Amino acid sequence: MSELGRILIVEDDPRDVELTLTALDEHKLANEVVITRDGKEALDYLHCREQFASRADENPAVILLDLKLPKVDGLEVLQQIRSDQKLKMIPVVVLTSSHEEKDMLATYQLGVNAYVVKPVDFHEFVNAVKELGMFWAIINQPPPGSAKKVS
Amino acid sequence: MAYWDNEFQRVRSPPLRYGFAVVCVGIAIAAALAIQQYQFRDVALPVLVLVIGIVTWYAGTGPAVVAVLLGTAAFNYMFVEPLYTFYVSARDLPYFLVFVLSAIIVASFSAVRLRIEENLRHSRDRLQTELEQRQRREAEIRKLNQELNLRAAELAAANRELEAFAYSVSHDLRAPLRHIVGYSELLQKHTPNSLDDKSQRYIQTIRESGKRMGNLIDDLLAFSRIGRTESRTTAVDLQKVVKEAISEIEPQTKGQDISWKIDALPVCYGDRSLLKLVVVNLLSNAVKFSGSRRPAKIEIGSVDANGDKIEIFVRDNGVGFDMQYVNKLFGVFQRLHRADEFEGTGIGLATVQRIVHRHGGMVRAEGAVDQGATFYFSLPKAEHPAKRTANAP
Repeated sequence: MSELGRILIVEDDPRDVELTLTALDEHKLANEVVITRDGKEALDYLHCREQFASRADENPAVILLDLKLPKVDGLEVLQQIRSDQKLKMIPVVVLTSSHEEKDMLATYQLGVNAYVVKPVDFHEFVNAVKELGMFWAIINQPPPGSAKKVS
Repeated sequence: MAYWDNEFQRVRSPPLRYGFAVVCVGIAIAAALAIQQYQFRDVALPVLVLVIGIVTWYAGTGPAVVAVLLGTAAFNYMFVEPLYTFYVSARDLPYFLVFVLSAIIVASFSAVRLRIEENLRHSRDRLQTELEQRQRREAEIRKLNQELNLRAAELAAANRELEAFAYSVSHDLRAPLRHIVGYSELLQKHTPNSLDDKSQRYIQTIRESGKRMGNLIDDLLAFSRIGRTESRTTAVDLQKVVKEAISEIEPQTKGQDISWKIDALPVCYGDRSLLKLVVVNLLSNAVKFSGSRRPAKIEIGSVDANGDKIEIFVRDNGVGFDMQYVNKLFGVFQRLHRADEFEGTGIGLATVQRIVHRHGGMVRAEGAVDQGATFYFSLPKAEHPAKRTANAP
């Protein structure tokens, strides 16, 4: 496990971002994390547009996507990723507060790789995020063309 | 028809009707006499018969009798030999009798015809009023239907609103809660030494309350979801469901001395996952409230309720409840015990009731303080599906 995948987090709530980063940090996974604060920014990042125009054109190893987002919501981001030839292979994990069946149905129909409900309990939340980070950024082999960092 | 009606209506009062008869006979005789002047023979008989017919038609039976009598007398007096006497010679008797007979026949035919016509008119009027009533009723039904449709639309809108509400609770209420719990834990971790025992306890309480509220929200959402999800109805083997439920609540039963008694349970008809939720809730309650018993005795069985329903019961020897509060048992957020006695959100039995009602069954409970409780729920029997599964290879 010498390679660490880049994690793109799409989350509008700064507290959730902080908690997620804290959780990832416990496993030293926080280094290669990119935070985007709404759906538009996430798509800008993925398409290397505007403020991300100069970044190296590599896909993240995994996207942790919230569903309720300003501007462009999670479902639409997911849909755009899945309909883009270059982006559609990126693993996407929905990390949301929603227990709703219709959200699960809609995201799975759009081809999400995993659906995780954010636990209220902090321990569970930390564990969930840690395991997600472990699996997607370390254990899983991302599709070719993803950003990797030799640690 | 309307013309006849009008004609008939015009001669309603008795003096007019009888007068009409007399006048008609008079006119007939005058006409017959006038025609005779022109050397036509034997006109009186048909003219009088005709007039008698007309009188019966327009004025009814009484005037017809008068017309027949008057006509007979006048005919006898003026047209039967010897003229101008009421004497009838033997030779003219058949002629005279034929007149009287035909007059009577015409009169009676007309009378019968009149009666029939009147009956017809009556029935027609009755039909008319019935038709009107029916139309009125139809209009009423249509109006009620419209109101019903409106209500249905309103209900659907209210339901959508509720759904949106539940959705937003699910999304928006949990996030701040997560932050409260998360940050108080971070605080606890961050300053383990600078906080005294009291502060530590305060933070602990914040965390526990947050967690409790999280459980409440989750349970409430699950409860509201029961009404919204579509149920998938199949034949359900309750025996298996109970076994699964017992293994599901194992974390709760660990360390408890429980003697289970599970009778033979029938196959019933319903949504498997929902019915399992019912059993899990009831068993978990039984385990929870008999926690102080050594051993705790929990019995699951069925009684054949009347008709096409079966009744399942879960009995425990736990702390029981006062029958006085039995009505509160199945309400949302209703609890009969203090939070520090037994944990719980007060939604379990409400969920049970909601699911069982959705299946067309009933719930009830019996119990006494410190003498255990028995919870019953009834479900529709699965006769046909059971047969089908039994026959399947």
